[in-house]
Amino acid sequence: MTALLEVKNLTVNFRIGSAIAARLRGQPPPDLKAVDNVSFEVERSESVGIVGESGCGKSTIAKAIVGLVPITAGSVELDGQPLTEKRDKATTRRIQMVFQDPGSSLNPSLTVERTLAELLTVHKIVPKKEVPERCGELMDLVELPRSLLPAYPKRMSGGQRQRVGIARALALDPEILIADESVAALDVSVQAPILNLFNSLRRELGLTLLFISHDLAVVRHVSDRVVVVYLGTVMEDGPTEQVFNDPRHPYTRALMAAAPKFGVKKEPGKSALTGEPPSALDLPSGCRFRTRCPLAQDICAASEPELVESPTDAEHLVACHFGWTDPRT
Amino acid sequence: MSEHLLEVSDLHVTMQRRGLPITPVDGVSLTLDRGEILGIAGESGSGKTLTLRSILGLLPKGGVAEGDLRFSNDGGRPAPFEPTEVHGHGISIIFQEPMTALNPTMRVGDHIAEGPRIHQGMSKADARTRAIELMRLVGIPSPERRARMWPHQLSGGLRQRVMIATALSTEPKLLLCDEPTTALDVSVQDQILGLLQELRGRLEMAIIFVSHDIAVLGELCDRLAIMYAGQIVEIGPADDVISQPNHPYTAALMASVPSFQGTSEELQGIPGHPPDPGAFASGCRFAPRCAFARDDCTQTTYELRPTSDDRATACIHPEVLAQP
Repeated sequence: MTALLEVKNLTVNFRIGSAIAARLRGQPPPDLKAVDNVSFEVERSESVGIVGESGCGKSTIAKAIVGLVPITAGSVELDGQPLTEKRDKATTRRIQMVFQDPGSSLNPSLTVERTLAELLTVHKIVPKKEVPERCGELMDLVELPRSLLPAYPKRMSGGQRQRVGIARALALDPEILIADESVAALDVSVQAPILNLFNSLRRELGLTLLFISHDLAVVRHVSDRVVVVYLGTVMEDGPTEQVFNDPRHPYTRALMAAAPKFGVKKEPGKSALTGEPPSALDLPSGCRFRTRCPLAQDICAASEPELVESPTDAEHLVACHFGWTDPRT
Repeated sequence: MSEHLLEVSDLHVTMQRRGLPITPVDGVSLTLDRGEILGIAGESGSGKTLTLRSILGLLPKGGVAEGDLRFSNDGGRPAPFEPTEVHGHGISIIFQEPMTALNPTMRVGDHIAEGPRIHQGMSKADARTRAIELMRLVGIPSPERRARMWPHQLSGGLRQRVMIATALSTEPKLLLCDEPTTALDVSVQDQILGLLQELRGRLEMAIIFVSHDIAVLGELCDRLAIMYAGQIVEIGPADDVISQPNHPYTAALMASVPSFQGTSEELQGIPGHPPDPGAFASGCRFAPRCAFARDDCTQTTYELRPTSDDRATACIHPEVLAQP
C-alpha cells in the first residue's frame, strides 16, 4: 500500500546574493540549502508532527508540499502522483494549509462569510444556493457561532481568527491539512481548545494532519508520529510515544532536555545544547549536528549518517552513526 | 536582611483608549527580596508587562502609573524613587526583541560601554575593557571580535546576550526581564535561563521575570505571581503554586498547558474571554469563566488573602480546589 503523501529526497535551495557577483569572482552562485534530501511518508488519517528550531527548514517543507516554493530536487507525491509547483484546482483542493498568524493571512476587507463563500464558489464545492448553508456548517465544524459570519477579522479575537483560518482550509474538503505553527501566537487557554479541535477534526473527518511546530509538548499532543528536523535534514522519525520516551538521536535528546518542564529547577549555567546551529551556507562535513553533539567521534566528521531503521522496529528511524549503538560501549 | 529590595503597593496604570480611561493594571502589590527571582505569569492583556514597565516609568504614551513604589539600592529601608533615578543606578531591564531594543547604528561593544561611560563616568578605554569583560561574563564567544560587530550580524541568542550584558553594565541590584526568551528557540532559551540563574548567584542580583510560559517560570523562579485582568490573583513559592494552585484561574491555566511528560489527555482550555479593561465587572473578575463560581463571588472585593506564611490568593473559596 502506498502512503497518501510521500516526500522523496526533497531538496529546496534558495538563491541568495548576486549571481553576477559570484560569476565575476569565478565561483558558482551561492545557494542556501533550506531543505536537503528530506524523505518521509504520511499515511491516510495519520497525524505527523514536524519539529525543529527556527531556520531548520520545517516551514519550507510545508510550503514545498503545498506548492508555495519551487522544488529544486526530489518529489512530493500524492497517492503516487508527483505534484508540481503548478497545480490544477482539483489538486490544490486536496492539500490545504493553516498559517501561523491569522491576523495577516485573512483578508481584512472580507467578512468571514465572503472569505468562505468565495472559496466554495470558485472551487464549485457546493451548488450556489447551498453556499450559505455550507458556510454555517463550516462554522459549526470549527465551533464558532454562526452569528460571526458577517463579522470582519479585526473584530475577532486571535483564537476566533485562527478558527476562521481552519474553516477556510476545511472549506475545500481537503484530505491533508498542514498546520504551520498554527497555535504559536495564541495564549495557552486559547491554544488548548484549538489543539483539541485539530484532534476532533481528525476523528470526525478522517483528516490527515501535518503539524509543524517548534513546541515539543504541542506536537506530542496532536501527533501519531514525529519527524525531527535539524538544518534541513531529518534526524529522527518515529512513533510519537517512542520518540518521546526513548529518543535515539542526540539532537532529539538535547531538544527535550532544553524544553522547560514542570517540577524541574534550572541549574545555574547549565544548558542542554551549547552554541548555536551552524550557518546553512557553511555546513560542517559529515553529520551536521556533530559540532554541538556530545557523542561526536571521528566518523561523524568523515561521513554523513543516513536514516537507519531500528533493529527491532521498522517505524523508528535515526540519522546517527550511534543511533542504535552506544559509542562508549 | 529583613528589608525588602523592592516594594510595590497598590499600583494602578491608567491609559486612554479612544478617549475613555481604562485600567489595565488595577491594584498590584508585591515585594521582592535581594537576590530573589520573582516570576509574573499571565496571558496577553493581563497587565504583567505594564506592571514591570511601571517600575522604570517605561509606559506607552498616555499611560499613567499611580501607586507606592519603593526601592532600596544600598541595603537600607526601601524608599520612594523617581524612575529616572534608578535608570543605570540599580535597576536594568531587558526586552523581548533584542533586535528592536539594540541600536542598529552602534557596534555592540559601544552599546554595552555606554552605560558605564554615562552612569559611572568611565573613560572610553576603560569602558571598552569593561564591555569585553561583560561579554565574556554572559558567555559570548570571542568577545574582542564580536564587540566590533553590528547587531544585525549577531544571531538572536547572541543579541539577547548583548542585551543582558548591557543591562548588567551598570551593576544593577534588580534586573527586569520582559519575556526575554519568547522569541528564542528552546535550546537558546535554555541557555539564557541557565545564564540568568548563574548571574543571580554570582552578582546577588534580584530578577523579576515576566512570561506567558508557566513552565519557563517554574524552572527559573523562586516565587510566582499569577496575573489576571490587571490583578495578582495568586502569589507564592513557584513550585507550590504550580503543583497545588490556590486559585481556579491558576488551576485552569495549568490544565491548558500541554505537557510533553504526560500522555495526550484532553486539554481543558478556559471558556470565554478575559474581561475588557474598560469595563471590569464588580466582584471576582474571573467569576464569569470560573467553573466553581458561587453567588457571593460577584459581591466580593479584591484582596489577596494569605493562606499560609508564604502564599496568598484572591479567591474567596480556595477550598473548592482541594476536593478531588
